[in-house]
Amino acid sequence: MTERTIRLTLKIWRQKSAAEKGRLETYHADNISSDMSFLEMIDVVNEQLALDDREPIAFDHDCREGICGMCGAVVNGRPHGPEKGTTLCQLHMRHFNNGDTIVIEPWRSRAFPIIKDLVVNRGALDTLIQSGGYISVNTGAAQEANTTLIPQEKSEAAMDAATCIGCGACVAACPNASAMLFVGAKVSHLGLLPQGRPEAARRALRMVRQMDQLGFGNCSNERECEAECPKEISITNIARLNREFLKAGFFSSSS
Amino acid sequence: MGWLTDTLGTSIGKKIMMAVTGLGFIFFLLAHLAGNLTIYGGGDTFNAYAEHLHSLGPLIHLAEVGLLSMALIHVITGGILFFQNRRARTSRYVVNARAGGRTIGSRTMPYTGLIILLFIVFHLVQFHFTDKTDTTIFEIVSTAFSNPFYVALYTAVMVVLAIHISHGFWSLFQTLGASHPKYSPVIFIIGICLSILFGAGFGILPIYVAFI
Amino acid sequence: MRLDAHIPGGPITEKWDRYRFDLKLVNPANKRKFDIIVVGTGLAGGSAAASLAELGYHVKSFCIQDSPRRAHSIAAQGGINAAKNYTNEGDSIWRLFYDTIKGGDFRSREANVYRLAQISNNIIDQCVAQGVPFARDYGGRLANRSFGGAQVQRTFYAKGQTGQQLLLGAYGALSRQVAAGGVTLYPRREMLELVIVNGQARGIVVRNLVTGEIETHAAHAVVLSTGGYGNVFFLSTNAMGSNVTAAFRAYRKGALFANPCFTQIHPTCIPVHGSYQSKLTLMSESLRNDGRVWVPKTPNDPRKPGDIPESERYYYLEEKYPSFGNLVPRDVASRNAKFICDQGMGVGETGLAVYLDFADVIKRDGRAAVEKKYGNLFQMYEKITGQSPYEQPMMIYPAIHYTMGGLWVDYNLMSNIDGLFVLGEANFSDHGANRLGASALMQGLADGYFVLPYTIGGYLAGTQLADVTTSHPVFAQMVNDANDRIQRLLSINGRRTVDTFHRQLGSILWDYCGMSRNNEGLAKAKGMVQELRNEFWEDVRIPGQPRDFNQSLERAGRVADFLEFAELMIVDAEARQESCGAHFNEAYQTDENEALRDDEHFCHVSAWGYTGSDSPPEQIIEPLSFEYVPLTQRSYK
Repeated sequence: MTERTIRLTLKIWRQKSAAEKGRLETYHADNISSDMSFLEMIDVVNEQLALDDREPIAFDHDCREGICGMCGAVVNGRPHGPEKGTTLCQLHMRHFNNGDTIVIEPWRSRAFPIIKDLVVNRGALDTLIQSGGYISVNTGAAQEANTTLIPQEKSEAAMDAATCIGCGACVAACPNASAMLFVGAKVSHLGLLPQGRPEAARRALRMVRQMDQLGFGNCSNERECEAECPKEISITNIARLNREFLKAGFFSSSS
Repeated sequence: MGWLTDTLGTSIGKKIMMAVTGLGFIFFLLAHLAGNLTIYGGGDTFNAYAEHLHSLGPLIHLAEVGLLSMALIHVITGGILFFQNRRARTSRYVVNARAGGRTIGSRTMPYTGLIILLFIVFHLVQFHFTDKTDTTIFEIVSTAFSNPFYVALYTAVMVVLAIHISHGFWSLFQTLGASHPKYSPVIFIIGICLSILFGAGFGILPIYVAFI
Repeated sequence: MRLDAHIPGGPITEKWDRYRFDLKLVNPANKRKFDIIVVGTGLAGGSAAASLAELGYHVKSFCIQDSPRRAHSIAAQGGINAAKNYTNEGDSIWRLFYDTIKGGDFRSREANVYRLAQISNNIIDQCVAQGVPFARDYGGRLANRSFGGAQVQRTFYAKGQTGQQLLLGAYGALSRQVAAGGVTLYPRREMLELVIVNGQARGIVVRNLVTGEIETHAAHAVVLSTGGYGNVFFLSTNAMGSNVTAAFRAYRKGALFANPCFTQIHPTCIPVHGSYQSKLTLMSESLRNDGRVWVPKTPNDPRKPGDIPESERYYYLEEKYPSFGNLVPRDVASRNAKFICDQGMGVGETGLAVYLDFADVIKRDGRAAVEKKYGNLFQMYEKITGQSPYEQPMMIYPAIHYTMGGLWVDYNLMSNIDGLFVLGEANFSDHGANRLGASALMQGLADGYFVLPYTIGGYLAGTQLADVTTSHPVFAQMVNDANDRIQRLLSINGRRTVDTFHRQLGSILWDYCGMSRNNEGLAKAKGMVQELRNEFWEDVRIPGQPRDFNQSLERAGRVADFLEFAELMIVDAEARQESCGAHFNEAYQTDENEALRDDEHFCHVSAWGYTGSDSPPEQIIEPLSFEYVPLTQRSYK
């Protein structure tokens, strides 16, 4: 792939704080290399803004290799941009054309209040995990690791669900701003493993209840989450959550 | 009973109610369609079918009460879900795009649902809660469908119904947790077949009646 | 000052057991009376915070990210070592201990490393119990692979995302304690000052990164698990936010910084490709298990790699190191890549890359098998470079990856400041002059799950601790210091952005204090860094307000510390007139260009004490003795 240089018009959401109203502002980005990542492109814009004595665009990012889940913005209506299975930091400018206009917005969900510009507060996802997204084992209380055999297929299915990076793109993508894929992935990851079964019913009930309280929407099986998830986590995990919840709600003694 | 309201009151609980009542309507529609097909046997066959239905007495009332409760649950829960979902995104995106997950069916669920609800009310007033002392059900139906407006309306709503089911059917299985790499594709295809069956089966009837 | 590492007596195999027995215990009912601050939520900090809270302590957990789950441990790919010997190859605690000492080129403490090897097995048990989905064989048992420089398969892995899965395990345990009330989370907080009262670490001053408010927190002990300082090089495989600030602030308060010049270069990273580049991406070292490293024998060969016949390829690692081949330790692999490129034999547009070829393994095992093993890595490579490693060889080049140096700690993981504990990459730890692959995760979790929870109890039970709250005058003074510094930074209002300084600093260090060093270059670099630091304080421009979400200000504070820290690194490199592990001084090499140690003069830990911003640091030596692993020249031939 040879390097090109492109020129872009950016319309970026600027918002001072949760309390203030935001709006799109237009910026021009020239000499953008097609080998740059999307975030490096914003870096370039920000360097110029700083030199012009204007405030740089606030955006979350950290590892820049698609694993920490910190970055994310809605690019032309698509969380993490148009590439499948890609986080914003791994999206490269070679997927854009000279003269393109790109609209960049933050995740929008009642459960993710905007902090500034493209930065949102995703603490709700932590609260969700705290409500049951773990296996209760104290340090030191574990048995020998190979005592419990886990079929490779099960283990791999658990791994597939566990690859969730907690970026919140599923919520951003869902027409209802639902967090079912996030919760489904965690309930599946732990529920598929024998270690996670003792708490499975309790986990499903508590996490779903917590999800509702946090103001996420309801799942209506639109499948947008699955299509936008940078780790391509399947909605099979949502079905599994539904099943766990149904079993827990009607047939277990957990509450 | 706290556990029951606790369970059904959650987001998944509400979806389970939608799914179960939706599945009930699928069965109802199958029965209704089977009954309606008697119209192809002519007015007498159709009237006989209607009479047989009414002769079931308390059973038919029970079914009516059942259907009404299902409808209430489906509509009220659907309404709550609709407004909750709107509330979950306080500020809208400036640019909306799809990643390919949504379908016409899934996009329009609340709206197709509302149309179907209004239609059902109208349909019941027109054919069910009407004075049938001096006439037969077949006469009422054929009179109605001699009006091209009603034919167009009924046929159009049946297309809407098909769209509703195209998402509703597989979705209800997903909600009930039935997802399996071997069977899920089959369920999806059955859903599409059912939409076509109901759309075409009910949709062609008014046209057929209009032409006899 | 004399450094006492508090290594317990007795034979090495029994030290830890005996020591744990000798440690004073805190009565369960008394544990809740103790507050402990844990800064950082990676493998070390997350596991420590969770384990301490399980024991009953009150824990306050701080991180700069928006969630504890995003600590940079999450990006570790390859795996975690343990001496389980599930593969029946003759692995043992002793062998893991031996390999780690040798891999570290005899610059780590035997007692610490032995303990690490002992604990390694408990870690795997603990993580499996937490639901970490390690790879398994068809029989349902845990799978192992060999990893960078080890001749036994002792590495446990979860696809190429082992760090992520281990961190999510620790994060789960932490979240459970948050729900139980034992841990209070403080995300988006950056530690700016360590508060010391009566010689004991008793609290921290942090900046709330959302509001910009300066906050104070008091506790009975402070635990730093804030990671490494690789980002001093600007381009590294570390996350953008990784920084030295917390450790450096502690250093300025008297904590000793040990072996700062021991910085590890990872051999398999995606090469640099542009001046705008913000970071380097690591490709798991596990790739070297199957990939073959080569360059064309003819420099600047214009042919496509696939068109170059076998006879015209130089498989330099396989030829130079027949028994280890492509699996030589990281420092050896990295230095050889640099050596080849310095000779003008590199490939790619910049000539700063070598091939890592998978054609043979694809032919041997089939594409599907390769995809199963490395699919996500290949995908990542293709996303970044636009080229498919299935069709043409990857191009790789070394990059800064891990820092073995860190705050000095004793056997208890306590620094020379009472009550200040340092875990994980932030301490100078157990890796000596070079860390073996898949050992960072092991050390982070060992420190947090299985060492600190015991040793901190010994400290708390055996120490007189006065009542200290945030109303103590030292806190007010530290808040003033923090505010002054922020004001000073914002008031410069110069012409250059923070990033330009950081980039420049990085390139100075990479050129003169990177993969190979010489005395002349180090002296030159020291001057350049001092100059750059002065320029920074005169000409940096930081837009925005102090009491606001201000990422430029965050970066400025970190770069300011990096600028000072860089000098310390250079001073340490200058002082160590030998080559060992990752520290390679060109004046000290064998005939075969291997690092040549000088055990007579440098078999020690160099710990540095702060004496002022503009005065040279004070060097304090901790001698190292090797009773169990004889000092030998490393050889991977």
